[in-house]
Amino acid sequence: MMANGEIMKIKHIAAIVSAGAMLWAVPAWAHHAFAAEFDAKKPVHLEGVVSKVELINPHSWIHVDVKNADGSMTSWMVEAGSPNVLLRRGFTKTTIAPGTPVVVEGFQSKDGSLRANGRDITLPNGQKLFLGSQGTGAPYDEKGK
Amino acid sequence: MNYRTISALALAFTGFLAAQTPTAKTSSKNWTVPRTPDGKPDLQGVWTNATLTPLERPAAVNGKATFTDAEAAVWEKKSKDDEAKYDGKADNPIADSLGSGGTGGYNALFVDHGTELARVDGVKRTSLIIDPPDGKVPPITQEAKARNAQMMRSMSRFDSVKDRPLGERCLTSFGSSSGPPMLPVLYNNNYEIVQTPENIVILVEMVHDARIVRMNATHAPTSVRQWFGDSIGHWEGDTLVVDTTNFTDKTRFRGASENLHVIERFTRVDAKTILYRVTIDDSSTFAKSWTIEYPFVATKGPIYEYACHEGNYAMSDILGGARKAEAEKEKK
Repeated sequence: MMANGEIMKIKHIAAIVSAGAMLWAVPAWAHHAFAAEFDAKKPVHLEGVVSKVELINPHSWIHVDVKNADGSMTSWMVEAGSPNVLLRRGFTKTTIAPGTPVVVEGFQSKDGSLRANGRDITLPNGQKLFLGSQGTGAPYDEKGK
Repeated sequence: MNYRTISALALAFTGFLAAQTPTAKTSSKNWTVPRTPDGKPDLQGVWTNATLTPLERPAAVNGKATFTDAEAAVWEKKSKDDEAKYDGKADNPIADSLGSGGTGGYNALFVDHGTELARVDGVKRTSLIIDPPDGKVPPITQEAKARNAQMMRSMSRFDSVKDRPLGERCLTSFGSSSGPPMLPVLYNNNYEIVQTPENIVILVEMVHDARIVRMNATHAPTSVRQWFGDSIGHWEGDTLVVDTTNFTDKTRFRGASENLHVIERFTRVDAKTILYRVTIDDSSTFAKSWTIEYPFVATKGPIYEYACHEGNYAMSDILGGARKAEAEKEKK
């Protein structure tokens, strides 16, 4: 059974974290400056199908074919995370089959090319794209205690 | 002062630090340090330094160096909840703290910074910095402030690939993942150590940097400068001590100069843990030397290659974006 002092300490920590303190361990400078690469003034909403997954370094890229109103097709590239992290979670370049429908929320690259960051990548039903894939979605279990 | 004198001074300083060798408790009475054929502690294997503990102690827990497990659980849950709360949102303070500039970064699935706070001697830590006792990087000197201001100005230039930071150029890791000092970053926090009596190699997954520690050697002449410095090692009892000098002015750990001097200590404390303690000294940058301590935890391999140039589309997006902005400005 916890002593009163311990309960008070936990309440204190709970009060601190609920006050909105940011607890993240963040590096001083990120790898690729998203602020320099993508334009926060150019949001994109893409609904299309996956044509290819490039599991390449430093970040993976998901190619998405988006059908335009006139029936023509535009191919976008969506930046995702480190392939190393995905591989450890059981994700390979065949995990998402070509033809899988996706919805992407992101921002277009500053140079105007058809590339965007995959801020949010989901299936049309709103399910996170990767969380429904086999062997993904949970922190891998070999992390030591 | 020739390099032998400097080496002698460095060794003397290292000897002084020997008195501060970590004395972490081992977790099992039955465990004994595994050894290589030459009788040295065996540090080989794949290790991770992923942790939720930040380098500096958050202001919210000023004066508090450790958590009880129950307090830590509250903190860890808050971190996880925040990650889920902001996942995929454009208005994402976590991504913004990493420089996303309002673009939201990408899904939390791609982030792999661990799920727990760092535990040393059975107790969870609120900061990786243990000295100064306030858990904060010591004040920066005026000289370093001027130098860093110049560096920040150059980082806002986009005229050439060479204007961009080394991490962005895929030349080295970012956030001092390779170090020294080695620090956890957002993902790829995996390391492999390979050991012989003559050399110890630390392979860092982030940008697959490999640092070679020459055992029982003396430092190269000061005219020989390397991005990760010149690392020499020796054993003090069962602790590997690695002394690194001869940095360039390119990697600039937290604004440090090429005079940076890093002393790392690796001590196996149980079957799954290397205790890593590292002291950072650069009087031209920091008001005093400071020390970080946290565990490297055994993890399943292999290390994956991170050939960063393979598809570094970001660089063309960044420089192309700057050219486009210039062209638009000229039109106006």
